[in-house]
Amino acid sequence: MQAAPTPDALETRDNLTFEAVLWALSRPGEPRALPDAGAGAILSALVDRECRAYADDPEIETLLRQSGASLVPLELADHVFAGLTTDSDLARFMRVPVGDMLYPDQGATVIAPAQIGSGTALRLTGPGIETARDIRLGGLHPRLWEVRATLCRYPLGVEMLFVDGAQILALPRSTQVEGI
Amino acid sequence: MSLTGLTRPWKDFSYGFLDASAKRELRRKMLKAVAVPGCQMPYASREVPIARGWGTGGLQVTCTLLNPGHTVKVIDQGADDSVNAASIRRFLTRVSGARSTWDTLEASLIQSRHRVPEEILREDQILILQVPNPEPLRPVEPNMSVARQMHADADYGRMWLQLYEQIVRSGRVMFGAAYPSLVHGRYVMTPSPIPRWDVPKLNMARHLTILSAGREKRLYAVPPYTRVEPLVFDDVPYKVEEHGHLTCYRSGLKGFFMNEIPQEDGGALHEVSDSHLGIKAIRQGDGEDVATGDTWYTNGEMGQ
Repeated sequence: MQAAPTPDALETRDNLTFEAVLWALSRPGEPRALPDAGAGAILSALVDRECRAYADDPEIETLLRQSGASLVPLELADHVFAGLTTDSDLARFMRVPVGDMLYPDQGATVIAPAQIGSGTALRLTGPGIETARDIRLGGLHPRLWEVRATLCRYPLGVEMLFVDGAQILALPRSTQVEGI
Repeated sequence: MSLTGLTRPWKDFSYGFLDASAKRELRRKMLKAVAVPGCQMPYASREVPIARGWGTGGLQVTCTLLNPGHTVKVIDQGADDSVNAASIRRFLTRVSGARSTWDTLEASLIQSRHRVPEEILREDQILILQVPNPEPLRPVEPNMSVARQMHADADYGRMWLQLYEQIVRSGRVMFGAAYPSLVHGRYVMTPSPIPRWDVPKLNMARHLTILSAGREKRLYAVPPYTRVEPLVFDDVPYKVEEHGHLTCYRSGLKGFFMNEIPQEDGGALHEVSDSHLGIKAIRQGDGEDVATGDTWYTNGEMGQ
């Protein structure tokens, strides 16, 4: 019998990154460890030449170019790597595609830096949460949650992946966010 | 920037059989499926070395999730030792180096056809169900573009009408398996052809369930702690199969979903459908130290 193949470093990282993202998204508000710090690992696990992406960070943009994804204006992107701190960030966030009723999967995935465990106190409810989960998220625009609520009219909406170093916290569109 | 910097080193075999771009597509779709529970997400569905309709959807999801740290269990109609389960399990371990098991408690990934194990799944386990027909509206609307519009409008009137007609004609709902269920109050999904007995196990479960149809090229998911409600009328309650009083003739287990084995004299014997649960009961009877987890049903009654 032949020896089983072994995964190379990239395959291992992509696999573990996806495992963390899937766990985080199925259990919104639960922080999960990524194998590598930063949004780069998420990019390499998810984005390739079939994707349309937008990034506000030149470093991420370089990675996107290497992945083969087409760099498009924000209104057309399915993967958005952008900060959500300033007023202009927020104005931009309002234009992120949310999919349509026939194909809700065309709503974008937004990957943004944030501070997990400090900042605004939020209460989350929805699928993946047994009753309610209280979290703290910092480094984000104070009006972000208002804007998110206008974008996420279930089943339309965006998935938000917050990256803090090597930690990820995810909010799918199905999660209700309430400030407390 | 050089050309070699942009290409990956040559490999003679992709780990986990699927190539990297196939995996990335499945990953993207799985995330969207989790975000919109019960909504069918289209995907490309690559060729895998089994025929379409024999579990290719589940196989692609499992191949994407696999790493050498995982332990895989493959179920076919409750059994670990049938041809379909045994070949899929052998394929998965060969292409990934992951361990395989028959024991639900040891498994981290459970790929299944037509059954959910009787032992309660933990939050670190993922159940992958193979789906032959992902469209619950197909019996009432053969045009899938129209069916997609009906899902978009949450227009499930014909679904209810079908249930009503069955009750009027036959006195009961005639869905034996794949009972249409409302997920998170929005999308009606078919839970794959699991018996009615297994549908309540998906409701507010601790584990993540991913359902994938390779031939139909769609996948959908039920995240943990998500409502899965079988469609029922207020005055006609949901009924699971009446297996609570049956006893397995091999293991002596009682109160679980059973396979009926017809006998020559016209009677029937019953055998517990979750085969490894039966094996564990037999081993325990022989005095072996085997652990059995808590089960969803006790004495034929669903917990909670």
